[in-house]
Amino acid sequence: MQEQLLYFVQQLLNGLTIGSTYALIAIGYTMVYGIIGMINFAHGEVYMIGTYVAFIVIAGLTYLGLESLPLVFLAALLVSMMVAATYGFTIERVAYRPLRGGPRLLALISAIGMSIFLQNFVRLAQGSRDIAMPSLVTGGWTFGSPDTFEASLSYMQVIIFIVTLVTMGALTLFITKSKWGRACRSCSQDLGMTNLLGINTNNIIALTFVVGAALAAVAGLLLGMYYGVVNPYIGFIAGLKAFTAAVLGGIGSIPGAMLGGILLGTTEAMTSAYFSSEYKDVVAFGLLILVLLFRPSGLLGKPEVEKI
Amino acid sequence: MNRTLYPAIFAAIVTLILTSMMLGIKLKTEGINLTLHSAEGSTWTMIFVATAVVFLFQLFRNQLTGLVKLPTLPTVESMLPEGKKGDRIKTLAVCFIVAAALIWPFYASRGAVDLATLALIYIMLGLGLNIVVGLAGLLDLGYVAFYAVGAYTYALLSLYYDVSFWVALPICGLLAALFGFLLGFPVLRLRGDYLAIVTLGFGEIIRILLLNWTDVTGGPNGISRIPKPDIFGLEFSRRAKDPDNMPFHEFFGIAYDPSYKVIFLYLLALLLVLVTVYVINRLTRMPIGRAWEALREDDIACRSLGLNPTVVKLTAFTIGASFAGFAGCFFSARQGFISPESFVFIESAIILAIVVLGGMGSQLGVILAAIILTVLPELAREFQEYRMLMFGLLMVFMMIWKPQGLVPMKRPHLELSTGDKAK
Amino acid sequence: MNFKKTLLGLGISTMMLGATMAQAEIKVALAGPVTGPVAQYGDMQFIGAKMAIEQINKNGGVNGEKLVGVVYDDACDPKQATAVANKIVNDGIQMVVGHLCSSSTEPASDIYEDEGILMITAASTSPSITEKGYQLVFRTIGLDSLQGPFAANHIINSIKPQRVAVIHDKQQYGEGLATSVKGELDKAGVNIVMFEGVTSGDKDFSALIGKLKKENVDFVYYGGYHPELGLILRQSKEKGFDAQFMGPEGVGNPDITAIAGEASEGLLVTLPNSFDQDPKNAALVDAFKAKNEDPSGAFVFPAYSAVQIMADSIEAVGEVDTYKMAEHMRANNFATPTGELAFDAKGDLKEFSFVVYNWHKDGSKTAVK
Repeated sequence: MQEQLLYFVQQLLNGLTIGSTYALIAIGYTMVYGIIGMINFAHGEVYMIGTYVAFIVIAGLTYLGLESLPLVFLAALLVSMMVAATYGFTIERVAYRPLRGGPRLLALISAIGMSIFLQNFVRLAQGSRDIAMPSLVTGGWTFGSPDTFEASLSYMQVIIFIVTLVTMGALTLFITKSKWGRACRSCSQDLGMTNLLGINTNNIIALTFVVGAALAAVAGLLLGMYYGVVNPYIGFIAGLKAFTAAVLGGIGSIPGAMLGGILLGTTEAMTSAYFSSEYKDVVAFGLLILVLLFRPSGLLGKPEVEKI
Repeated sequence: MNRTLYPAIFAAIVTLILTSMMLGIKLKTEGINLTLHSAEGSTWTMIFVATAVVFLFQLFRNQLTGLVKLPTLPTVESMLPEGKKGDRIKTLAVCFIVAAALIWPFYASRGAVDLATLALIYIMLGLGLNIVVGLAGLLDLGYVAFYAVGAYTYALLSLYYDVSFWVALPICGLLAALFGFLLGFPVLRLRGDYLAIVTLGFGEIIRILLLNWTDVTGGPNGISRIPKPDIFGLEFSRRAKDPDNMPFHEFFGIAYDPSYKVIFLYLLALLLVLVTVYVINRLTRMPIGRAWEALREDDIACRSLGLNPTVVKLTAFTIGASFAGFAGCFFSARQGFISPESFVFIESAIILAIVVLGGMGSQLGVILAAIILTVLPELAREFQEYRMLMFGLLMVFMMIWKPQGLVPMKRPHLELSTGDKAK
Repeated sequence: MNFKKTLLGLGISTMMLGATMAQAEIKVALAGPVTGPVAQYGDMQFIGAKMAIEQINKNGGVNGEKLVGVVYDDACDPKQATAVANKIVNDGIQMVVGHLCSSSTEPASDIYEDEGILMITAASTSPSITEKGYQLVFRTIGLDSLQGPFAANHIINSIKPQRVAVIHDKQQYGEGLATSVKGELDKAGVNIVMFEGVTSGDKDFSALIGKLKKENVDFVYYGGYHPELGLILRQSKEKGFDAQFMGPEGVGNPDITAIAGEASEGLLVTLPNSFDQDPKNAALVDAFKAKNEDPSGAFVFPAYSAVQIMADSIEAVGEVDTYKMAEHMRANNFATPTGELAFDAKGDLKEFSFVVYNWHKDGSKTAVK
């Protein structure tokens, strides 16, 4: 009985870890969608680039002989956030801004094109082989007895939870309390009106992309350290999952992204745990279709009223 | 000067960050250790040249924008004379092209004919997706799922029930259409962006199911030895597989030549494409075709005019899917071997690129784009590595520069004669 | 086609008349990925085949004619493989060394058999390729269906585990091997508690490892490639799951240690004999090293043997008649750098030996006695 419970807790923790990282990436999708109503398909690729940059910084600092883990972590975080933000900014400037105001389909196709381009750009620049890095943070807690079932929680998992929660909190504060955050919310309400009120909406939209990309880089660093591998294709899969999470929770809603991510992560873990990992993606996408059927705007999304 | 100087410096720094981190520094695994390498000198030179170019361009962009203008492509339409005469020329041109397409394989090399067959498959897929994306304006990112349904239908029918290609062909189309209907029925109420992700998910589900259902589909091993189509019971092999049958060459008393089979497959594909073009051409002139386009342009106006958007979308989705089913059926017959790895997302992306490049809604454009995108990589094999990179760039570039595509769609329309002005 | 054959026959008869022909060429198509994600494996095959061609030509060619290798790129994509096969038919080439990926070899072999082209693959290990009763399809590498039973044998006799899990990556190679190992273990009555697939390209295996832990598994056989097994090993160590792991040649590559680090210590890997370690091949290894090529790849020597067998058969038959060559290949033994090779009726090698290696955390390996 206790063994069953521990097993359940273990799989729940696994699911929560995956879910938190989905949520971090999903926020980028949700913020952009909330403000300009388009899906930034290239967001997953920004996450992938963030992971690469984090690896480069960590490898570089280790080579230079910097031992202090918090310093390495902080440096990797800052540099990868900056580079990813630059990518996010440029993507918006090059591929989306010229299309703003046009049919949604055009921007969406442009985004898919951008995603394919970035993936292949990194493939050509860095090669398609897996790049691996040794674990920086090792160890963890275990509970239960080794005779029956021993659940474990690694320090890295805890770091992921904490960083995700802190980031989410900071983001919520930023959106609700700061001047820029107010401008963001105002943009998502009515872009034209905001512009009329003297706010440079171009800058606010660029800001959204920069913040979203920086959050993807946080996820990139955390997952890079957790799994220790990166290749040019991780962006597509992670982006797909994160986007599913965003839609599940109700795209445009930040708590929704969190809820969707965690729901998706736990669903996958539980499918693997009690059924078979072969079908976890089928169940994940099936869940998405099912939720959309009954709540077309996601779990926490507001139903959108179409205006003429 | 100051007004452009700061943005120019900013743009230069952005370029430097973008390129130096990815191109300038390379991560490599040497043995078992992760190492960092700086790129060769030439790459760094290029990075700095690119930065300088961006800086100068931004600095003088006001002066430059007057000088450099993107050229506009001459459209095919503008080259043709208008009116009745134009129609006659168009009919003649179509007849000529079809005749040329029928005759040339007999004089061309086997490799070229084979490549042309592949191009024809993509034309068929492009035309089918064009209905969904171009005409009805629904972004379907899982189109490859219907292609897979068609391919597996023929493969499984021939494997388990010995069904011939000709019997299987309509079944493939119908079954793909059924899948389109079943998927479309619930999801078409969703708005465009949601639809994109749901279809993408559906495409993955179909692929994973094909992969996991090993007992029936062979799982990752796929299905091999799928029979080639015959013509009235005559096979195109050296020896007939079925003792009752007679190979084509024996029946006509000519020497066996393996290129007959390739030419036959090509002609069959051509026939399928011609039928597809004809059917879609008719559909766009019918009320349903008009309804698709109307819905794409204005959802709400359509509803107020009494069109049921779900039904209209569903027909587009179902008909589009059925063409993918036909294409899949032919693909598995031509290939003789299929496995789930032929039906990955990137295939959907390529078909979408064809539609986008050609011009959404435009049949001629899609045909041209399919030919360009299949033949070009063959001609320039050194660029194989860069193929997907180019596809991606092309999609972004086309959307910004010429969203209507290479050959913009021209709606069939009637003009009222307004007396003197018409003459 | 017929025309070309007469031409060739004519050429041979002229030679027999004693006339000195200008050195004719015998073309061999080398088909495999030059581009794409598995291009590095394609390279192994190409350098082996090219070296064989070079050395045969240096020793006077085949019946006085020079061999010429023509490289065709299929990018490991079944669609492009059929295009390549048609191009080879078109170019009138009668012998192919290739393709690399089983999924490419499969459709291409249909075309070769139809058109009377002799094909020897040095890398495709899927059993189904030679199961179609083709006359002209051969291979110089061991099948998955040989490697599976070999691994199973080692598990049953040397390890004797209590609770076994068989995991695979749902790819042709991995699932084929895993199924074969499971079949053998079932026959021997070994207790298999789990048989499951994972998604290739996945990064998180924590749920799977939790399940393995709960089932008290003490031995895991993994059918697949190194990226996934590397992560499974790494995450197992972090989760405190310590069972004995074993994998096929697809995981036996230093990259697995780069990914798994210390967790790769003690992993068991079945690999073909390292032909480059064989003292008999020292001269050949030096020849590769002189050209700055790496002879240690798994497909280098099998590709070399493939070309050599073709050349030997042409010499024995006296002309490039693929059907006669195939007959000759089935009836005779060939001394090659990969050992004394003989083919069975299906076109597979009668014998191909594997060795179980113990992997170490510095990326090296030692044979298990």
